[in-house]
Amino acid sequence: MPGKQLLMTFPVTATSHTLADYVARDGYAAFRKALTQLKPEDVTKEVTASGLLGHGGAAFPAGRKWSVVHLNDQQPHYLCANADEGEPGTFKDRWILENAPHLLIESMLIASYALQVRNAFVYIRGEFDLPYRRLAAAVEEAYAAGYLGERILGTEFACDIVIYRGAGSYVCGEASGLLSSIEGKRGYPRNRPPRLTVQGLYKRPTVVNNVETLSNIAGIVARGAEAYRKVGTAKCPGTQLVSISGHIARPGVYEVEYGYPMAKFLHEDCGGMLPGYTLKCIVPGGISTKVLTAAEVEPLTFDHQSFTAAGSSLGSGGMIAIGEGTCMVRLLQVMLRFYHHESCGQCTPCREGMGWLHRIIDRIVAGEGRPEDIDSLYRISRLQDGMTICGMGDAAGFATVGILDKYREEFDYWIREKRSKFGGNLEGSTRA
Amino acid sequence: MPEIFINGQPVRADASQTVMQAALANGFFIPYFCWHPQLSVAGNCRICCVQVEGRSWVEIACNMPVSEGLHVLTDSELVRAHRKTTMQFITLNHPVDCGICDKAGECTLQDYHFAYNGSPSVSREPKVHATKFHDLSERIVLDNERCILCSRCVRFTREISKSNALGIKNRGDVSLVRAADDHPLDADPYSDNVIDICPVGALLSKPFLHKARVWYLKPTPSVCPGCERGCTVNIWHRKPEWHLRALDQKQNFNIARVTPLENPAVNGPWICNKGRDLAHIFERPRADHAMQKGKPVELATAIDAARRLIGEAKRAVALVSSWGADEELAAFKDALAGRFTTYVKRDHAAEPGERLEDDLLIRPDKNPNTFGARALFGAESVREPVFPADTDLVLVWGEGCNFARLPPAAKIVFLNAYLQPENGHADVFIPVSIQTERAGHYTNFKGVASGFERCFAKRATVADAQELFAALGTVPTGKP
Repeated sequence: MPGKQLLMTFPVTATSHTLADYVARDGYAAFRKALTQLKPEDVTKEVTASGLLGHGGAAFPAGRKWSVVHLNDQQPHYLCANADEGEPGTFKDRWILENAPHLLIESMLIASYALQVRNAFVYIRGEFDLPYRRLAAAVEEAYAAGYLGERILGTEFACDIVIYRGAGSYVCGEASGLLSSIEGKRGYPRNRPPRLTVQGLYKRPTVVNNVETLSNIAGIVARGAEAYRKVGTAKCPGTQLVSISGHIARPGVYEVEYGYPMAKFLHEDCGGMLPGYTLKCIVPGGISTKVLTAAEVEPLTFDHQSFTAAGSSLGSGGMIAIGEGTCMVRLLQVMLRFYHHESCGQCTPCREGMGWLHRIIDRIVAGEGRPEDIDSLYRISRLQDGMTICGMGDAAGFATVGILDKYREEFDYWIREKRSKFGGNLEGSTRA
Repeated sequence: MPEIFINGQPVRADASQTVMQAALANGFFIPYFCWHPQLSVAGNCRICCVQVEGRSWVEIACNMPVSEGLHVLTDSELVRAHRKTTMQFITLNHPVDCGICDKAGECTLQDYHFAYNGSPSVSREPKVHATKFHDLSERIVLDNERCILCSRCVRFTREISKSNALGIKNRGDVSLVRAADDHPLDADPYSDNVIDICPVGALLSKPFLHKARVWYLKPTPSVCPGCERGCTVNIWHRKPEWHLRALDQKQNFNIARVTPLENPAVNGPWICNKGRDLAHIFERPRADHAMQKGKPVELATAIDAARRLIGEAKRAVALVSSWGADEELAAFKDALAGRFTTYVKRDHAAEPGERLEDDLLIRPDKNPNTFGARALFGAESVREPVFPADTDLVLVWGEGCNFARLPPAAKIVFLNAYLQPENGHADVFIPVSIQTERAGHYTNFKGVASGFERCFAKRATVADAQELFAALGTVPTGKP
C-alpha cells in the first residue's frame, strides 16, 4: 500500500460494513469520546489543528469552513455529506459508502455535535445502488443501536440523518446546487455571497463536506490532531483516496499518503500500465483538472503543492492513466460532450460556451475543422474562466486548455489531414 | 452609510445595498438583463460585471454587497472585454430576427449589442434551434430561440404574482421556459407583466403580435379605470406623423397596447391584465348622437332641452359617475349640485370570474374614482339611491344604472358614452366623451390623484362632461 493508511485499515469481508464489525474495530468510540469528554468548540479546534483538507476537489481546509458557523446563534444549522460523486474518473467515496458506511455516520455525528446540527443529510448520487443500500442499512442499524435519534447515548444530544438520492445531475455535486436539490428546486448553483456557511440549506448556516473529508473526522477525534499531522507532509497532512482507472494494470481505489512518490505509486502499487502500454499522460484528479504528461507526472510527489506547481491539481483524486496511441482529440470530444450535457444552463457563459465548444470539436472530428478553430477553443475556454456562478465553467476550460496546450499537434493534424493521428482510438495502442 | 468609489468618484451607499443598486441610485449605469429592482438576484446573465480595483478578474455587480472603501470600476478595459464576450455568448444562439420581432426598438439585447458589442458573430457554427410560437397562455406567445433564459418571468410568477405558473425545463443550452401543468399561466391575472420584463422578444403579447412597430407608436400617460387602485399606465397609439393613409384608418385611433407607467406611490412597475385590455372597455360601440326620446337631434338642441328640464324640476335626483374625473365631478358640483340630491353610482361591477381583490394590486371596487366622488359629495352619497315619491327628474351620468328602478313618472336626462338600449328611452340623451378623449385626474382608494392625458380628439357631436355641466348650470335662454 502506498504509505500509511487512515481509512482503509481493515480487510474488506462480507460483513466488514456492518455495525457489529465496525464496533468490533472500536467503532463509535470516537463519537462517545467527543460526546462525553469534548465540548463542541473543542472538536472544531481539533479538526482545525489537524489541518484536514477538503477531499471533494478544492482542498479547502475543513476546520476553516467549520469555524465560520457560530454556535448558539439561535438558529438551526445543517450538515450535508456530499456523496454525489459525479466527477468522471472519480469513484473513491463509493468505497467508503460500500465498505465503511458507519465510519461516515460516526463522523457525521461528531460533526453534528461540533456544529450543533439537529438534522444532517447525505446527498447520494442516484446511480449509486449498492452504496445507497449499504448506507441506508447502516443508518437503520445506527438508529436501532441508539446512535441516531433522540437522547443519543443517554445525553441531551439528538441528531437525525436523512439520505437524499440525487437524480443524476453533475451540477448537483456542487455544494450549493446540491442544497437547491435537497430543497426540491432545480439543481442550480447559487451565487456567493452569501457563503453556504452563512446562508445555506433553507437559508441557514450549512456545512457541506465531501464524504471522504467527513470520514476522517472520527480518526482525528479518536487519535488526536497530532497523530493525524504525523501522516502526510507538513503542508498537506493525511492521506487521500485515489480512484485510478484507464490503461493501468490494477485499477481501483487506493489510499495514498500525501508526499508519496507518484512514479512509485503508478509503477509499483498500481502495477504499471497494462501489458504493452506505455504511459502517455495522466488526468490527475477528475477530468476537470489539467492533464499531465508522463514526463511531468513521474517526478512529482503526491501532494497538492507539487501538483499545483506542475500546473494541475489533485482535485478529487480521480486519476485516469492514458496510454500512448490514445487520440487526445477524441478524448477532448468525449469530455466536452459530458460538460455540454451536464451544464445546468443557468448562467450564460457556461450554457452557451459548452455547446459552442462541443460543436466545434464535433466539427473537427467530422473532418470539417478549420485552423482558426483551435483559437476559438482557447478563447471560449478562457472567457468562461471565473465568469460563471459555479466552478464548472472554469473546470471545462481547464480540461480543454490542458489538452490543447500539450497535444496541439494532434488537433492540427486532424484539421489538416481530416483524420486522427491515432485512428480515433480511445483504447490506446500496444504497438506504440 | 459606507462610502464606496465608483470609477474613482465617492458615493454614499446604504449598507444593505449591492453595488448595482448604489451605482444606479447615483447615476452610474451598469448594464443588466436578469437583474430587476423588484425581483430576487439571479446573477445568471453575467453582463453586469465590474472590476474591483487591483483585482485581475471581474465580478457581478448585482450580487456584490457594498463595503466601506470599495473601489469599483464599471468601464475598465477588462470589464469592456468581458461584457463584449458575454454579449457574444448571449447572442450566440439568438436568431437576430429583429426585423420580424415586436420587441425591436425597445429591446435591451438590441441596445446592448450596439453599446457593448457591435461586431458580427464570431461563431460560424449553426445556431441551436428551439420552439417558436409556443402558446404559453391564451394571451402570451413564447419564442424560445429569442429567450436568453434570464429567468425574470419565472421569478415574477414566483415572487410577485405568486402563481408559480412558469418554470424552466431541460438543462444547458436546450433549457426552455414552460408553463407548469398544474398552475396554468391563464389563471394568473398579472401574467402580461412578464412581457414587459422580458429583456428580449421572447415573450410577446398575442393581441399586439405584429400589430405595429413600436417606433410608430406614442405612449400617452393615463390611468387604468379598471378598479379603485388607479394604476398609472401608458396608452400606446399611433403617432400623428405615422398615421395610416390607406388600409383601415380606424387603426389610427385605436389603442395599440397598454403598458404600466412605473409609479411607486400606486402600482410600482406592474399592472394587471384587465389594465392591458383597456381597448375592450374603450373601444365598445360608441353613442355619438344626441337624442330626445330616441329621435336624433343636434347636440345644442339636446343641451337646451336638458337645461330646460333641470330648470323646471321641483325635485331632482342625480346619479353621478364614479368614472368621472375629479375635474368633471367638481364641475357638476359647482354648477348643479344645488339643484339635485346627488348619489354616486358604481358604474361597473366585477365581471363573472374576475378576481375581486388580492394583496398585489386588484381592488374590489371596479370604478376608478369613487374616492374622488366621495370626497366631493360626502360618504352618504355613495349608496343605493332613494327616490322621493315626487321625484320629477333623474339625471343619470354614466353606465351601471338600473333604469327599471327609477321612478316611472320622472323625466330622465341620460349622459352616456356607449351605445345602450336605454339611450333611446331617455327624455334627453347626451353622448359624452371617454377617458382617452380628455385629460383629468382620478383619485384612488388611498387618496392619490393620478392624471391622464388626451390620446385622441373627441367628435364634435359628443359633449365633454366638464363643459356640459357648466352649460347645464346656466339659466335657460328662454325659448321653449
